Amino acid sequence: MAEYECLNLRAEVGSRRGAKRLVLDGVSFEVGAGEFVSIMGRSGVGKTTLLRVLAGLHEPSADSPTSDCMVRFSDEAVAGPPEGVSLVFQDYTSSLLPWRSVARNVELPLEGRLSKADRQVRVTEALEMVGLADRHDAQPFELSGGMQQRVQLARALASRPAALLMDEPFGALDALTKADLEDQLLEIFTATGTTVVFVTHDIEEAVYLSDRVLVLDGSPAKIVAEIPVESPRPRTQMHTRESPEFLRARHRVHEVIFGTE
Amino acid sequence: MTQDRASDIAPSTRLYERIRLDSLTGLLPLVLLLSVWQLIGDPESPFFPAPSSWWPALFTLGQGDKIIPAILDTVRTFGLGLLGATILGVALGLSIGVSRTFGRAVGPTFEFARALPPAAIVPVATLLLGFDETMKIVVVVLAALWPILLNTSSGVQELNPVLLDTARSLRLSTTRTLFGVLLPSVMPAIVLGVRVATPIALVITLLVEYLTAVNGVGALVGEAQRTFQPARVYALIAIAGLLSLVVNSGVRFVENAVQRRRVGDQ
Amino acid sequence: MLVLVAIAGIWEVLVRFSIADVQFLPAPSEIAAAAQGEIFGGELVGRLIHTVGVTALGWGIASVIGVGLGLLLGLSPTAYRYSMTSFEVTRAIPPITFVPAALLIFGFSLKMELVLVIYGGIWPVLINTIGGVRSIAPELRDVGTMLRLSTPETIRKIVLPAAMPSVVVGLRLGLSLCLVLAVVAEMVGNPEGLGNGLIRARQALQPALMFVYVIAAGLLGVALNAGLRATARAFLPGNALKDVFAS
Repeated sequence: MAEYECLNLRAEVGSRRGAKRLVLDGVSFEVGAGEFVSIMGRSGVGKTTLLRVLAGLHEPSADSPTSDCMVRFSDEAVAGPPEGVSLVFQDYTSSLLPWRSVARNVELPLEGRLSKADRQVRVTEALEMVGLADRHDAQPFELSGGMQQRVQLARALASRPAALLMDEPFGALDALTKADLEDQLLEIFTATGTTVVFVTHDIEEAVYLSDRVLVLDGSPAKIVAEIPVESPRPRTQMHTRESPEFLRARHRVHEVIFGTE
Repeated sequence: MTQDRASDIAPSTRLYERIRLDSLTGLLPLVLLLSVWQLIGDPESPFFPAPSSWWPALFTLGQGDKIIPAILDTVRTFGLGLLGATILGVALGLSIGVSRTFGRAVGPTFEFARALPPAAIVPVATLLLGFDETMKIVVVVLAALWPILLNTSSGVQELNPVLLDTARSLRLSTTRTLFGVLLPSVMPAIVLGVRVATPIALVITLLVEYLTAVNGVGALVGEAQRTFQPARVYALIAIAGLLSLVVNSGVRFVENAVQRRRVGDQ
Repeated sequence: MLVLVAIAGIWEVLVRFSIADVQFLPAPSEIAAAAQGEIFGGELVGRLIHTVGVTALGWGIASVIGVGLGLLLGLSPTAYRYSMTSFEVTRAIPPITFVPAALLIFGFSLKMELVLVIYGGIWPVLINTIGGVRSIAPELRDVGTMLRLSTPETIRKIVLPAAMPSVVVGLRLGLSLCLVLAVVAEMVGNPEGLGNGLIRARQALQPALMFVYVIAAGLLGVALNAGLRATARAFLPGNALKDVFAS
């Protein structure tokens, strides 16, 4: 069963001067329910644009009326942010509300939807999932980068989304923190069965986390390769990264992105 | 990093953006307002004379030859006042920035002096100094001083201490440290302060002139008001507005030039 | 503080012994005596209340208009495109020059004073609100969109708090401008308040009394600023305050 369907997607990005540039053209893929898919590619290729289209933040462009360009989430065309989708931004400093405490940040998506008591339950649950239950009342600026990103993850999880979209969420973190958060994400992924679409430019990370890695390339970009990762779950930093399945997939992604030497 | 900053403040693109059609469409409400005013306004109205009657009102009763000298008077007071405020502000700002003791000692005094509404200084100044150019300039300096002083002192305090240590370890003389190291490094802060002080200096110049009737555009507006010539009042308001636009874009141009030179250096 | 006392002391000595014989310069002791008389038997308190009242009322109205208009111009690119230049041009006209026009239109009245105070107070709030709203990080706007917040919800939960430090800067600048305009209006038009007291003392050639009013106006400025600072401190997170009161 496909959660996300993308067919012949075209997307343009306007530059500062108003000129538009075609970034994505003919992008087609599906993401199954409960699947973990990474989208990779060189910087500037249009990964973030693609994710923003999936999130309903960026409208795909259908400039010819006969175009069959289409984006669907659980059988509904995406027009604006769909119910049941959460997005985690790379830049946690500007996506957390600095005037709200950790708990009040996580509570934000629930306000006006749930009763106060239910909200408390969800907030506690989400903060426990990311291991921040004890930082309930902290202010975001008091936390380290890794912790702030956990808060953002908790906020995304609080609404119990069917799909989690993540835009290079660990790109700004140091290697150790990053490994920690990757494992935590995998735990959450297994525990909740959420579908994850994960944008990254780190090959190791993409392969370690995903069931499938999609590679975007070209200008305008399309999906040039789709590499399945057969390493069994649960995965662990030490063992998975040494397993033949991991190494094979990593090799393949490398080949697609850099060409064979 | 450097490149980001350079592109952020690149004056050419900013200028380019400023004169794009966008900014002309933004004039629409003002043009509409003035047109409606013109259509329904009566040239003889004691409150809202039609805009077309403003310009001629400048020249009625042989008052035309007062305009240019008044503008020159205002510009001179403004210029000398801003110059005085810059010199005094930079000197005091540097002293406060360099010496904590001095800063703490004069802090409360300055805090109070800064909060004084400049209008309140005017009667005192006229009493002590009389109705003349010096009095005008003193009031302008006292009002326009603060942004320059504050920007300079915080500019010094935010300097990387390594810079002053470098000067010390190179055993530069005090003068050399001051003019070769300190002043150039806080220049952007000073320029920013001067930019903020510029409209203040102009407003206070007009205010003093209006309150004391000592020369300048401000005095002319007051005279026009006391002799009930509304069209002339509006015409002079428009002149004051133009003057302020010219002065402010001039200062912004200088600020851009200073920043461009610094970006070029790096 | 010590320096203030020292200045007053030196000033007293200079005037008392006629070392610095500036005409009309009262000694601090004379000013203190005049202040005592004016506070307990004179008009100072009533005039102070008038000026504070007009300043606060005008500032309040100006702030509501400024924030409202600023939100509109900050959030709607269309509104911005079709009016911002008009605001820029109008703002360039020093508000002081509107005093004569206001006098012609409204006469020597409280209305005149209030209109001037409101007009002057709108600008800093308006400009800073627009700036604050337009500089909100795009990510923060996306957060609102992702959570499918309604427009009022987005304004209340995201836009206003994010723009708040900048708005408070505008409120603070607006407050001092309102006080200045109130005093000017009282000096030339509405015959009440501190500004009028100052002019009366000037006309009566009572320099000591004049200094009392100047000092009262200065203290009022300090007090209003301190009051606003305390209020802002209660509502803003600590790290946002730094920029607000820096200059």
